[in-house]
Amino acid sequence: MNLNAQKVGVAVIGAGPAGMAAAIKAKEAGAKDVVIIERSEELGGLLHQCIHNGFGLLYFNEDLTGPEYAVRFIERVKELKIRTQLETMVIKISQDRDIMAVSSKQGYITFKPKAIVLTMGCRERSRGAINIPGTRPAGIFTAGTAQRFVNVEGFVPGKKIVILGSGDIGMIMARRLTLEGAEVKAVVEILPYVGGLIRNEVQCIHDFDIPLLLESTVTHIHGEQRVEAVTVARVDRDRNPIAGSERKIECDTLLLSVGLIPENELSLMAGVELDPVTGGPVVDENMQTNVHGIFAGGNVVHVNDLVDNVTWESDLAGASAARFALEVKPVGRGKIALKPGRGIRYIVPQLISGLRDVTLYMRVREPEQNVRINVGDIMSRSLRVVKPSVMIKLTLSAEQLKKLEKGTREIMVECEKRKGKK
Amino acid sequence: MPREEKIVCIDCPLGCLVKLTLDDKDKVIDVADNKCKKGEEFAVEEIRNPVRVLTTTVLTQQSIQPLLPMKTNKPINKKMLRQSMLVLAKVRAKPPIKMGDVIVSNLLDTGADVVATRDLLIDHEKKS
Repeated sequence: MNLNAQKVGVAVIGAGPAGMAAAIKAKEAGAKDVVIIERSEELGGLLHQCIHNGFGLLYFNEDLTGPEYAVRFIERVKELKIRTQLETMVIKISQDRDIMAVSSKQGYITFKPKAIVLTMGCRERSRGAINIPGTRPAGIFTAGTAQRFVNVEGFVPGKKIVILGSGDIGMIMARRLTLEGAEVKAVVEILPYVGGLIRNEVQCIHDFDIPLLLESTVTHIHGEQRVEAVTVARVDRDRNPIAGSERKIECDTLLLSVGLIPENELSLMAGVELDPVTGGPVVDENMQTNVHGIFAGGNVVHVNDLVDNVTWESDLAGASAARFALEVKPVGRGKIALKPGRGIRYIVPQLISGLRDVTLYMRVREPEQNVRINVGDIMSRSLRVVKPSVMIKLTLSAEQLKKLEKGTREIMVECEKRKGKK
Repeated sequence: MPREEKIVCIDCPLGCLVKLTLDDKDKVIDVADNKCKKGEEFAVEEIRNPVRVLTTTVLTQQSIQPLLPMKTNKPINKKMLRQSMLVLAKVRAKPPIKMGDVIVSNLLDTGADVVATRDLLIDHEKKS
């Protein structure tokens, strides 16, 4: 414990969309001394490099680009005079919620907040995470790094590009690089379907006649100084490369869009329990973690496909943190566990109280048509189509939750195939 | 001779591959394989006039922020995207610029303006 620690009300770690939303809501809910701690030199996080549109369709009912979405929150942070501690990197959170950080201007600084909101977002999986054999030449980038080069720094990373993974960032970069004059030779996807949203498949891949190789993967990287080619092979049902199906594609750049990992090293230090499926904290309906007074929101909890949902979750985390910091009433932890049953990969929040309305975010395991999502026997929703890439959002009302038997400790959520339908 | 075109509907995650039949005057005479009415509406409009919002960047005359993000303030025909990039490649944005300022008006006679989606401040000012 550092005696010089700055006492604050709510400390928010990270100033991306989640952190800004959490800080704004905490302040609006009356929290005193809200501080946002951010390692880069400005607010906004990844939004500044996401120059494409499609942000805010749900939250603002407007079609905004990433920078425009960011500005809405940056302006509000300024209006509310929320303290921002930029170019400051949190290096540790102790189990009793002390924050240790370093800044090039102030050196080592510590905070003693009443409540913390974790909004560190996520990072990209890299080549090491998927173990692609071959040499180690220059020219291998994650899609997000390439996005920063092209949209912020002003460099196009290569001329002939292969993209592994058809997540949204991968597809958006396929379009972006094509427009900037590069040749995207292929987007390679190991699954039999595209990983991102349908609008991106149409507007980023089909619009530019970019070859989309499904059920395929990169099995080798060639090149000494610089990438010269990659070997692409088809895969079988178990996602193993099929011998004899290999072909070499000449390229100078390989972009990886192979998944995102919630960034939780700090959470672990603080003793926060993580869900092995989401990679993020186990949270309750107040977005509180197992550590009293530590809340979390956005991609640090689970990787979202839409920023709008990140904002909503973080609004909730910020408001809850304010309540905790103000000690108006205890923020109890939910005791009813939501368990993923057939077809469901995960549900956030994992714990609910059963006493009030709660919004559930969930993902399915496989694409399916004509299904019913059953939340125990208290709610059921029919859906024509579900896909792992599209988050399902359901709201359980307090009324529906009253149907729960007293003492219920677990609710099974499942995705059931509707009978009698083609 | 009637001809066929296929359009993927983006209205929902189902992504129906809608089959359109057009006559020699490009009039839609049949719509098939869509699972709902929206698929028909989308496909008919998409074949008639496929439009997209172009989002890109232009070079600036400012060193902290070498690029300024842009968008067309309304969707333009997708055939115009590449040509539009060539026009924007010649632009050098001069600070100060406010988000929403028009950088190129009536881009290639599409009726759409290219507007900044972020502020561009003069060098010695600190970034937001």
